[in-house]
Amino acid sequence: MDEILKVKASELRTKVHSGEIKSVNIIEACLTRIKGTDFKVKAFLKLSEGRSLKQAAHSDEKIEKGEKYGFLEGIPIGIKDNIMIKGESMTSASKYLENYVSPYDATVIEKLKEAGAVFVGRTNMDEFAMGGSTETSAYQKTANPWDIRCIPGGSSGGSAAAVSAGMVPFALGSDTGGSIRQPASFCGVVGYKPSYGLISRYGACALASSFDQIGTLSKNVKDSALLASVISGRDYRDPVCEPREGIDYVSYIDSPDVLKTIKIGVPKQLLNYKIDAEIAKHFNEAVEKLKLSGTEIVEIDVAAYKYVPALYKVIMCAEVSANIATFDGIRYGYRTSSSKNLNDEYAKSRAESLGYEVKKRILFGTYVLGAKNYYKCYHQAQRVRTLFINQITDAYGKCDFIFSPTTLQMPVKFGETLMEECDIFLTAANLAGLPGITVPCGFANSDMPMGVHFMGSRFSDVKLFQVANAFEKISGFDMNKYPEL
Amino acid sequence: MMGDYEAIIGLEVHMQINTKSKVFCECSTQFGFEPNLNTCVICTSQPGAIPILNKKAVEAVIKTGLALGFTINKESTFARKQYFYPDIPKNYQITQSEPPLCSKGRLPIIVKGKEKVINITRIHLEEDAGKLLHEIGSRKLDYSLLDLNRAGIGLMELVTEPELNSPEEAFEFLNELKSIVEYLGTSECSMEEGKMRCDVNVSVRPVGRKEYGVRVEIKNINSLSGIRDAIAYEVERQKEVLNSGGGLIQETRLWESEEGITKSMRSKEGALDYRYFPEPDLVPFNLPDSFIEKLRKEIPEMPKVRKARFMKDYGLTDYDASYLTSTKVVADYYEEALSYSKDKRASAKLLANWISTELNAKFNASKISIVESPVSCQNLAKLISLILDGTISWKIAKTVFEEMYEKSADPERVVKEKGLVQISDESAIMKMCEEAISESSKAVAEFKSGKEKAIGAIVGLVMKKSKGQANPQLVNKILAEKLKT
Repeated sequence: MDEILKVKASELRTKVHSGEIKSVNIIEACLTRIKGTDFKVKAFLKLSEGRSLKQAAHSDEKIEKGEKYGFLEGIPIGIKDNIMIKGESMTSASKYLENYVSPYDATVIEKLKEAGAVFVGRTNMDEFAMGGSTETSAYQKTANPWDIRCIPGGSSGGSAAAVSAGMVPFALGSDTGGSIRQPASFCGVVGYKPSYGLISRYGACALASSFDQIGTLSKNVKDSALLASVISGRDYRDPVCEPREGIDYVSYIDSPDVLKTIKIGVPKQLLNYKIDAEIAKHFNEAVEKLKLSGTEIVEIDVAAYKYVPALYKVIMCAEVSANIATFDGIRYGYRTSSSKNLNDEYAKSRAESLGYEVKKRILFGTYVLGAKNYYKCYHQAQRVRTLFINQITDAYGKCDFIFSPTTLQMPVKFGETLMEECDIFLTAANLAGLPGITVPCGFANSDMPMGVHFMGSRFSDVKLFQVANAFEKISGFDMNKYPEL
Repeated sequence: MMGDYEAIIGLEVHMQINTKSKVFCECSTQFGFEPNLNTCVICTSQPGAIPILNKKAVEAVIKTGLALGFTINKESTFARKQYFYPDIPKNYQITQSEPPLCSKGRLPIIVKGKEKVINITRIHLEEDAGKLLHEIGSRKLDYSLLDLNRAGIGLMELVTEPELNSPEEAFEFLNELKSIVEYLGTSECSMEEGKMRCDVNVSVRPVGRKEYGVRVEIKNINSLSGIRDAIAYEVERQKEVLNSGGGLIQETRLWESEEGITKSMRSKEGALDYRYFPEPDLVPFNLPDSFIEKLRKEIPEMPKVRKARFMKDYGLTDYDASYLTSTKVVADYYEEALSYSKDKRASAKLLANWISTELNAKFNASKISIVESPVSCQNLAKLISLILDGTISWKIAKTVFEEMYEKSADPERVVKEKGLVQISDESAIMKMCEEAISESSKAVAEFKSGKEKAIGAIVGLVMKKSKGQANPQLVNKILAEKLKT
C-alpha cells in the first residue's frame, strides 16, 4: 500500500496546496489501490478514472500557476451512489435506476465541486439505502476489508469499506437510521451524521425524508470535520435545512481541555440489551479513559429507548412507501417490456426492478398509513417519537453528550442477520434530529474493529467534533493501521 | 307516493392560483406552452428533488380566505395524498389535511331577492396534476401522452357546507365567488382554460327530514352553466329513482355535457384510500400575525361594496353599477377614466354608458378584454368631455370613437384633423335652416297642418347640409321658432 494513502485528508490538503505533492500522484495511488484490492472488497460500483486524473492534473496546474483554487482542491473523495452528480449515473444500487443519469448536482456536490474535490468513484450501498449490510445492493456485495467473509455494515457500506481500505481518505454517506455510523464502526473508521437540517438533502435520493442526512466517513475525526465544513450550511432548496452559515469545524476542533468541562451521560438502558462481551469490555474501558481525562460520567434514564426500533420502523417505512412511489416506470427508470394496462405496467415495472427489502418496506409503510391502521400505527408512532424526544431532551438537562457503544454486535458473516437492537443508539439520533459520531475504540480478538458513539444535542456539532477529536487521542486506537488485502 | 324533495348541494371548487411560478418549484405557470417545457427536476419528480414553497401562493390563499371571512390557521401543515396516476409524477399530491390554511368562511348570495349566507368549510393549498392525452384530434392513440406543464401549479381548493338547495343557488354562489376572487386577483377563475374546476355533491331528502340522503359526487363539469344543468339533472334523477321505489348508491358520476346526463363512474366501494400523512419535506407553517395583517391591508374593495359606492357617489343606476363592478378591471377602468374627467358629476353617467354599450360591444366583437383596450381611459374621458361641452354631437362622437378604437387615436386630434367640430354658430345654422325650409315645402305644409313629426325630415336636411356637424339641439330650436311664425 502506497504510503501516500496513509496521509490524512487534512494533511494531504496542506501538502497538495503547498506543492509538496501532486494531486495526480494521490489520485493514481487511489486508483492503483482500488484496482489492486477492490476485486476483493467491491466497495465501488463505478470508477471515474479518466475524469479524476484529468481533474487532478487541472488542480495541480492551478496550484502551480498560483491561480485561485478550492478548499479541497485536488483531494480525492468517494461518493455514495445515492447522491446526484450531473451527467453521471446514479443507481442507488437499484436495478430500477440502472440506466439513470443525474440531470443536476446535489447541493453537497455543488459545494464539493466548487471546493475542487476529485470524485474518484461511486460507492456501493444497500438498495435505496435500505439495509444495514450493503447486501441488498442489486449489483454486488461489499466485503468488510478487515475480514472479507464479513459484512461491512450498511447502508453506506461501500463508503466505509473504501475509507477503511485506504482507497480514498474520506467519503460521503447518508444516514437515515445509522447508515453512516454503523458501517463506519464495523470497518474501523469515523462516521458522522450531522444534526438534522445542518446539511442540505437536496440531490440525495430520499429514503425517509424526516430522518435522512448526508454525512461523512473518514479515518479520523478531523477529516470528517474538514468535509463537514465544506458541505454544511443553508440551502433554500431544502426547506428543512436550517438557515445557518457553514462553519469551519476544523478551526474549532482542537480543544485540549474539553473533556474536563463536559458531562457524559451513559444510558441505564444499556443494561437491558444483550451486548457483545468484547464490545461491552471496550466500552467500559472507554468510559474509564474519559474519567481519567477528567470527564464527569453520569447515568441517564431514557425509558423510551425500548420503543426506538418499532417507532423507527413505522415512520421510516411510511415515508419510504411514499418516496419510492415515484419509481413507477413512467418517466424514467426501469419499465417492464410487457404490460396489459396501466396498473399492470406499474406492478410489473416495480416487481421486476425493486428488491425484496424495498418491497417489504413499501408494503409495511402502505399498511401503517392505511385508513384502518393510521391511528394505531403511524399516528401512534409519531406520538411515541415526541415522547422519546422529550425524554432525550430531559436527559440533556443532566449531561452534554450521550455515550454508548456504536453497535451492540460485531459485524456478522454474509447471510447472517444482525439483531434488531444492534443500532438503536444510532437510530435514536435520527429520531430526534441529533448529531452523532462514531469513533473507533479498539479491536476484538477477531481483529475486527469496533467504535463508540457520542450523540449531542441539536446543533451541538462543533462541540461534538471537539469531544470526538479529544476522545480519539486517548482511545488507543491505531488509525494508521490498515487491513491487509 | 310522490313526495316533495329538497336538494342538498355542496361544492368543491378548485382554482388555479395566479402566480408567476409553480407552487413547489420555479417553473413558469404560463398557459399554452409546448408540452413539458415548463418542467424541472422538482415537478417531474427526479430522485433527490425537494419541493420549495412559493410564498406568493400562500399569500393568495390567505388573501382569498380573509376576503371570505375565514379564520386563518397560523400553524397549518402540508400532507401527502397518495395515489398512482401518471399525471402526478411523485404518485402523491402535496395538499393539506388538517388544519387547512383557512377554516370556516362565509359567502352571502342573493336568492330570489333575499340574502342567504353559505358557510364554507375550508380553503387549502395544493398542487395541480399534469395532463394526459389519449387522442390527437379525433384520432385515438394506442398510447398516452403526458404533459407536465400544469403539474405543480398552485391550486386553492374551497369546500362549502352542504347548504345550497338549488342549481340556481349553486350558480349564484360560483358567480359571486368568481367575482370576488377575480377582484382579489388570486385566480383568473376561467373555467374554459381549466383555471377553475368544480365538483358537486348532490343528495335529496324529503322535505322536513333532518338526515341527509345518499350523496352523489359529480365530476367533469366544464362551465358555469354546466354546473347548473348537471345539478338540475341529478336532482331530478335522484327524485325519480326514489319515487319509483328505487334506492340510491353513494357514487361518483361524470357529467356528459353533450348528452346532458350524468353517468356512473365508480361506487363508494371503489373509493381510494389516499393514505394521507404529514409532508416531511416541508416545515409546518408558523405564520406571524404581521404577515396576515399585511395581507388584510392589501385586500381591495369588494364588488358589492364598490357597487353601492358607485350608485351613491356617481349617481349610477343599479344596472350600470352592476355592470361596471362585475369585474375589477372594468371598475378600475371606469374610475380611472372618471379621474381624468373635468366635470365628474356630469361625466359619470355618460362614461358608464359608453363603457357598457359602445366599448363593451367592441370587446365582444373582437374578443378581447378591457385590459387590452386600444382606447385608453384618458382618451375616453376626453371624448366624453367633447360631448359634454358641445364640441361634438353624440353622432359624431361615434365616428370619432371608431377612429379611437381602430387606431388608438386621441379624440381631440381626430376632431381637429377631420374638421368634425360641431357647428354651434346660430347665424350659420339659421342660414341652413332657412334654405332647408324653402326646399321642403311638403314637410312644412304637413307640419303646419299639425303633423309634428314632419319636422324630422327638415332636421335631416339641415344635418345633411352641415355634413352632420350642426348642433342638433340648436337646429331643432331654430326650426321650431321659424316654423311657428
